[in-house]
Amino acid sequence: MNVRVQYYALLREQAGRSEEAVATQARTPRELYEELSRRYPFSLPAEMLRVAVNAEFGEWSQPLAEGDAVVFIPPVAGG
Amino acid sequence: MNPVREFHLTREPIDVPRARARLADPSCGGYAAFEGWVRDHNEGQRVQHLEYEAFEPLAIKEAERILGEAIERFGVTHAACLHRVGDLAIGEMAVWVGVSARHRHEAFLACRYIIDEVKHRVPIWKKEHYDSGDSGWVNCERCAAVANEQSHGHTHPHAHGDPQGYGEPDVHQPHGLPAPDYSRQMALREVGPQGQARLAASSVLVVGAGGLGVPVLTYLAGAGVGRIGIVDADRLEPSNLHRQTLYALADVGRPKAELAAQRLRTLNPAIAVEVHAVRLDAANGAALIAPYGLVIDCTDNFSTKFLLNDLCMQLGRPAILSSVYQYEGQLQALRPDRGGSCLRCIWPEASRDGLVGSCAEAGVLGPVPGVFGSLQALEALRILLDLPGQLGDELLVLDLTTLTLSRVRARRAAQCHGGACARLPAAPGSGARPAAAASQAAPLEVSFGSLLEAARGGFTLLDIREPPEVRAAPIRGAEVSHVPLRQLLGGEGALEERRRYLLICASGRRSLAAAQELRSRGFAAVFSLSGGLAALEAGD
Repeated sequence: MNVRVQYYALLREQAGRSEEAVATQARTPRELYEELSRRYPFSLPAEMLRVAVNAEFGEWSQPLAEGDAVVFIPPVAGG
Repeated sequence: MNPVREFHLTREPIDVPRARARLADPSCGGYAAFEGWVRDHNEGQRVQHLEYEAFEPLAIKEAERILGEAIERFGVTHAACLHRVGDLAIGEMAVWVGVSARHRHEAFLACRYIIDEVKHRVPIWKKEHYDSGDSGWVNCERCAAVANEQSHGHTHPHAHGDPQGYGEPDVHQPHGLPAPDYSRQMALREVGPQGQARLAASSVLVVGAGGLGVPVLTYLAGAGVGRIGIVDADRLEPSNLHRQTLYALADVGRPKAELAAQRLRTLNPAIAVEVHAVRLDAANGAALIAPYGLVIDCTDNFSTKFLLNDLCMQLGRPAILSSVYQYEGQLQALRPDRGGSCLRCIWPEASRDGLVGSCAEAGVLGPVPGVFGSLQALEALRILLDLPGQLGDELLVLDLTTLTLSRVRARRAAQCHGGACARLPAAPGSGARPAAAASQAAPLEVSFGSLLEAARGGFTLLDIREPPEVRAAPIRGAEVSHVPLRQLLGGEGALEERRRYLLICASGRRSLAAAQELRSRGFAAVFSLSGGLAALEAGD
């Protein structure tokens, strides 16, 4: 399955990219994040992030589908 | 109609029909005017063009006094004077005086009096540029003397920015004070005089006068928002200046709320600017927010953001939240007035400061908060003017390196109803869930002379730094387990109920945040090494 992944803030830094196409076996955003965590040195646990699927905040356990746009968003506080 | 007694300095060509129209009055039978023009010679030298410069605050005050004298002395009804500043070409009008009165006689006399006195007393300098390539400043001795007395400490008479516009009939100057010319925004069909009156009647509280706050404050003051409150307890630091464009290096060390207020009053004397040089907290928050119709969050930390969120949802105040990080940021509008979603609908767990980095830690490029502050100001005006396109239940995430914009729909959480978010903690803004509140009684931070001392004191030591940090500076001399932050908060290497843990990082910031987080999850015996490893090294 192919999905489009976007990273923001700390995750963008740690992944070293803003977005990428990912071919994955992951069935849920949580599995996808775990898979990507093995590839990149992500320091935040999933509990502290939100995931958006196709421009809507979603659940970590919801099913992913071919072509989904997945965005991992950490909270930020700078001003 | 009230007597017109107006003097304005202007960089724009003088619009005589408009100025004259200000003096029209059914009770007046006559109008006299004088126009002063730039001529092409002076004392035998040919003049190419002229420059006028004014010491503005004094010029305005003195000229208004002259107009008052003319009205009183000659019994005229209205009197006005406009004077150009800046560069003028030959033939341009440099000054205009207009008077209207019941009869022609007093109109002529007052007009003559005004132009003579203005030339004599008002501190306006004229620089003539001659054919020969020379130039020279020309001004009367008396006004130079007055200006020097009054401008003690002013090295440059033009330090006060652009002169005010003139002659605009104003529906929104309750005190008759000079105000910017709002015509450019009033020309928008959706704004108009009604929109302008709406802005004048509105009030906005801006929390934080930093990178986000500066553009918000500037645009709202310029737009004529009638009452603006500024909350900021900080003093200006040199490291603020690259992104906080309202301030100057010479201002360093002074309270930012006061500095900002001073600038805004100069920008727009017709609005009320209120200074709250305090840190917004759970004790003062509701009292600060309640008197304002709209709140703009320009803070730089999670605890204040969640507190603001909670208070605005409880008080039913719309709010515009934004945060930036390096080259990107987020924007969210809270609309309790529309039953909208809130910050906790997106982030059910109050996020901890220290885990994702502030401007100080992560760095930020100056225009990034500039962009997001401008978006906040834009959204504020859209709400105040009820313009189309207002943000809904969504989080706007914009990456300025790639200009990628994500608008993520954020539905109101099931527990969040009718503007009273059920997810709110019992004590607003404490950031802790009620069940965990009791366990927060023990201090979060503890200090030790050495890690050995902490271990002897019964603490299990956990180094929560990232693996590269540990490799670069390993801890020696005490038994320490290494559990990087992510694993710790992710629940790997579960904590044992019977142990007391001391979390250790480089500066004590991440360990404090992690300890707060774990306490809120119900682990009572988790502590942070105050000041981190840096404090131990400093004590060596």
